[in-house]
Amino acid sequence: MIADLVQNTLDGLALGSTYALLAVGFTLIFGVLRRVNLSYGPAIMAGCYAATWTHVHFGAGLIVLALIAIAGAVLAGAYVERLCFAPHRSTGAGPCAGSPVAAMVASFALWMQFEEAATLVLPRHLYAFPPLYSGGPLTVGPFFLRVEALVTLAAAIAICLLLGWLLWRTRFGLAVRAVIESPRAAELAGINVPSVFVRVFALASAIGGLAGYLVVASHGQITPMLGMWSTLKGMLAMMLGGLGSLPGAVLGGLVLGLIEAHSQWYLGPQTRDLIAYLLLFVLLALRPAGLWPARAQG
Amino acid sequence: MSRALLEVSNLVSAYGKIEALKGVSLAVEQGKITCLLGPNGAGKTTLMFSTAGILRPKAGSIRFAGEEIAGRAPHAIVEKGIALVPENRLVFPHMSVLENLQAGAYQRPDRDAIEGDIEKLFARFPRLKERGAQEAGTLSGGEQQMLSVARALMSRPKLLLMDEPSLGLAPLVVEEIFRIVTDLHRDGTTIFLVEQNAHMALRVAHHFYLMEQGKVTFSGDPGSIAEDEVIRRAYLGTAKA
Repeated sequence: MIADLVQNTLDGLALGSTYALLAVGFTLIFGVLRRVNLSYGPAIMAGCYAATWTHVHFGAGLIVLALIAIAGAVLAGAYVERLCFAPHRSTGAGPCAGSPVAAMVASFALWMQFEEAATLVLPRHLYAFPPLYSGGPLTVGPFFLRVEALVTLAAAIAICLLLGWLLWRTRFGLAVRAVIESPRAAELAGINVPSVFVRVFALASAIGGLAGYLVVASHGQITPMLGMWSTLKGMLAMMLGGLGSLPGAVLGGLVLGLIEAHSQWYLGPQTRDLIAYLLLFVLLALRPAGLWPARAQG
Repeated sequence: MSRALLEVSNLVSAYGKIEALKGVSLAVEQGKITCLLGPNGAGKTTLMFSTAGILRPKAGSIRFAGEEIAGRAPHAIVEKGIALVPENRLVFPHMSVLENLQAGAYQRPDRDAIEGDIEKLFARFPRLKERGAQEAGTLSGGEQQMLSVARALMSRPKLLLMDEPSLGLAPLVVEEIFRIVTDLHRDGTTIFLVEQNAHMALRVAHHFYLMEQGKVTFSGDPGSIAEDEVIRRAYLGTAKA
């Protein structure tokens, strides 16, 4: 009984750490651009499809595939940024200020484009992806620890620490936080705001690409649904944690993973998403700012 | 004849189809305090935004130290040596006072001199020093205004633009802000000031312009025209009596 609880918590944390990475990327883009990027997941999917394509046609090692997934997600992200977000920036006055709705709808159009492109290049619905680890789980006392889950968790912790250092200890981080607080004040302080937008987009896409790689390599398979799945999980975890809050994104991801793992065990796999969305609904009704809200924007 | 540091000629700026500046020409002389007066909606902030690069002008020219800067990006204009203290201050509310100042020096290459400049500004604004580690959003309105000025100074500007620095502040704090303006001028900074508080502005300015409905309608030195006439036009915007 207790053993089940602990086992589910371990599984939930491992699952949640991928959600946390997805949510961190989503939140970076949302926080800096104040724009919802629906193509965030599909760009990740595009990167993972590039890795899958390489695997199918040439075969490659795990590290190479991870790098291709990350680089592919960054390239796809740059394409999204140029087409959807560069023309609709939040800076500028009057007619120079872009429309958030137009940017979001444009990102939806690119989502469809990515899915179509993926099915053109790799037409089967499902492809095998080389697994992170092909052996069985480690046993520690009564508990099973899946190696791929441990790798995912370790990668997530490393990325969060690295990001924390980048944002709170470097000059680039100062610029990012300044833009998050007030793009207008940031540009008046001499910060090249469009360049910060582009670099943050690339950073978020790289984090997303790594998260996507860890997911497909843990499951050992990939479908075009990865795009929608990543956007939904990232957005869900971001909203659970608090829109625009980076610590909230990590917390929201972990909580979402825990909710899914436990509801799957106790109530059955078919209720997993149902419970997650129900809890999101209850949370947003009771505490609309999320679990760890971002402080009010200036 | 002293030379103009900033020269605006026939500047047209618009929000969509609404022209807020309809051919503005004026000059800010090196080492002087120049003041821009005018009623609400005259286009004063639009001129500040156009000069700082936030709003791209539709026509005309803005020359800074002889170089055309109209339409440049805001960060490039800061690099040239113009810093704007915006209306409503716009500090970074969740960053510390110290980080706000560091952000102001963002593009300076001389990283070593920045610490020294922060110390100098802390000496000028002792209350900012007391609150160095505090989040800027928790400061009073007057303190935020001082932080906004200090942040702009961190870029070591040759020209300081100030948009309504006394807005919403208590009379004593307004006195202090204007004392700071004269101090900065004495230390060699050229200042271009937009003010609603015409009375205070005319006390510190060497030269002033009056703007009404997107055009400069009068310019002169304080004393060259009866003060109450300037103030009446600055507030009410009556072009002709």
